[in-house]
Amino acid sequence: MPNPESNPETIRFKSPEELKEEAIEAKIKERGPEGEILGGIVFEEERITDPETGEERIKKYIYIGNPYEDRPIITKLETEASKEEIEAIKREIIPMKESFEILEAMAITYKHRQPLLIEGPTAIGKTYLADKFTELLYGRGVRPLDFYCSGQTDVSELMAKWVPRVETEEEKRKWQEFLESAEAQKEISEIAQEVEQKEKLSPEQKLALIHTRLEELAKSAGLSEKTQWRFQYAAVPKAMGLIRNPDGSFSFDEQKGMGFTLHIEEVGLAEPQVINALLKLRGKRGQLAEEIQLWENGGKKVKSGPKFWVFFSTNPPEEYLARNEVDPALARGVVFKRMGELSEESLHLAADYYFTYKLGGKPQEKPEGCILDIYNHPEIGREISKVVSAFHNDLNKELKKGEKDRQQRVPLTLDDMARVADALIDTQIRNKETGRLDLTETLKKLIHFYYLDRLADEDLKETMEHNLNELLEGDTGKIEFEGKILTRKEIFDILVERASITEEEKAKLKKEKQKEEERQLQQAKFNAQDAVDSLLKNPRIPDPIKKLLSG
Amino acid sequence: MIKLKIFMDKKELNTFIRLLQKVFTQKQPAFDLGLIVKEPKSRIEVKEVFEEIKKIVDIKGIVYDEKIFDEDVIDKIVDAFQKNKWVFLEIKKDIHSPLLNQLKHLANYNSFQLIDYQGQDIFEMKMPENSRVIVYAERDFIENRISYPHFYRLFGPTLSLK
Repeated sequence: MPNPESNPETIRFKSPEELKEEAIEAKIKERGPEGEILGGIVFEEERITDPETGEERIKKYIYIGNPYEDRPIITKLETEASKEEIEAIKREIIPMKESFEILEAMAITYKHRQPLLIEGPTAIGKTYLADKFTELLYGRGVRPLDFYCSGQTDVSELMAKWVPRVETEEEKRKWQEFLESAEAQKEISEIAQEVEQKEKLSPEQKLALIHTRLEELAKSAGLSEKTQWRFQYAAVPKAMGLIRNPDGSFSFDEQKGMGFTLHIEEVGLAEPQVINALLKLRGKRGQLAEEIQLWENGGKKVKSGPKFWVFFSTNPPEEYLARNEVDPALARGVVFKRMGELSEESLHLAADYYFTYKLGGKPQEKPEGCILDIYNHPEIGREISKVVSAFHNDLNKELKKGEKDRQQRVPLTLDDMARVADALIDTQIRNKETGRLDLTETLKKLIHFYYLDRLADEDLKETMEHNLNELLEGDTGKIEFEGKILTRKEIFDILVERASITEEEKAKLKKEKQKEEERQLQQAKFNAQDAVDSLLKNPRIPDPIKKLLSG
Repeated sequence: MIKLKIFMDKKELNTFIRLLQKVFTQKQPAFDLGLIVKEPKSRIEVKEVFEEIKKIVDIKGIVYDEKIFDEDVIDKIVDAFQKNKWVFLEIKKDIHSPLLNQLKHLANYNSFQLIDYQGQDIFEMKMPENSRVIVYAERDFIENRISYPHFYRLFGPTLSLK
């Protein structure tokens, strides 16, 4: 079998584009000395010459790809963020396989103006990654426009509504009471339907009809028919026509706005009428609609700016009691990605990141309440992460079965783990005997606050408390540590003792160790001399050997 | 007997307040919203809990019940934040969408994001560093009357009153 590389006929020159692609791919797939992911997101600048003015300017881009893939799909997107910002955002993303799968899907769909829907468990990080993706596009601290659905969400909160202008508190109260009534909401939506059907009317006539109907409505409710009304756009049209000002604030232009990212969360909880309203966002060829028509405003159209993008997220139906799957019509109109549970490998990776404090800045000075600066001791953090991730996994499995007598669901998220890690910095309990940090008791206390006190099922709570104690102090939780089989508590105590020793104590211990080594060496010398002396006295040892020994 | 119980809870309450005051999540980063849950057998009254917290921090009480609209609750929270106060929000009716949206935003980003509010297209208000939100509700109420299935996820530390 000839080696193709040695065959001159197969050698070809690579174009500059291909070489650049290879360089980017290498950066996307970059790993650290211990195999840790360093790539996934790459920042590049390009010098662009304006064809009209001939002026040169620099454009900033990010490349996003899944570094776990052998041949990742790499998406190039323009960014407003600086190189430093991109590096900082990257450091805040735990490089789990699932995170890059989500980012990859976001990048591809954003580039092609396709709406994306991700259905996945709470722990997968959908919201967090939507925030990070927005930051990657616009810079640190820029958040998407958020909308959270619930069973009570009204279409007007997403699309638009007429709001009465009122002067007094009493008037405001009366109007609010009326507008919140199911009867009023039904009648208002009927006005929009009526207007939609009057095809022959001009936009002005349609608006006039709306005002007449609103006046009639007010009158029938015993409110002033002379009330002035104001049309208010809600989340969807606002996101379509938003303009991000240089100072970071937003303004709105329904025709010329650039648009912005809209994250609609928990869409699985939305009622059918809300889904129907969202279906207006479906455009041609699976893309987002270029404009939507609002009948509430006489059929006026709102244009979708070039940067408008919608990301829907939802939890799997089993996490919502009595909810069905995502509406099939919505699922067909979006790029639908289903994610499974976070793998154990990813869970451990996340725990390691949290408890070794790789994500955020560490305190410059020891904060009040901190006995041991645990954030400077990754060797302790790694051991804690094993305990907390094992407990988290254990409880998660139990919660999946559902709690007795509970309507609410308490799915665990990575935030629960992160909270324990953050609290551990300055909420520590002292061991009264040693005066050092009692890590076992501190962990128990914090796990109580952040995990166990939420549980309604007392039996489950008791079981989990028992499991936690067993994990920390029982025989079944024992593991090998430096050649010995120890409980986690014993391991924690050893590590805390080592970490608690001051520089002075360390120097003293070093000196003592050195002395002990010297003493042992001296003892060995004496022992050797005794052995030689005893051989010299032995009559059965021949003289030449004795001579050698004494020499 | 009751006094002893209240005394024991006070220690827990102090830790709870401390966690809310101090813990700043490295992930987001944001301060947590706190939840106090009154268990069915508890004899501690909401007023006692509120008064105890008031001794520790400057806090404003808001009751969310049938008599109040979501917009008014949001106004009151904005007002408390403008005065650097904590908020103690007692939930006595199912949470409607406008308030739920803001509580979620507050939990995620420690800020409000309101459309067409106070004359701005998008009104954003950061929760001041010295303000926090504590939500109080009874366990049975949460389990049977709150229709949003992930209510507990809005909160960091939970204090269970037994």
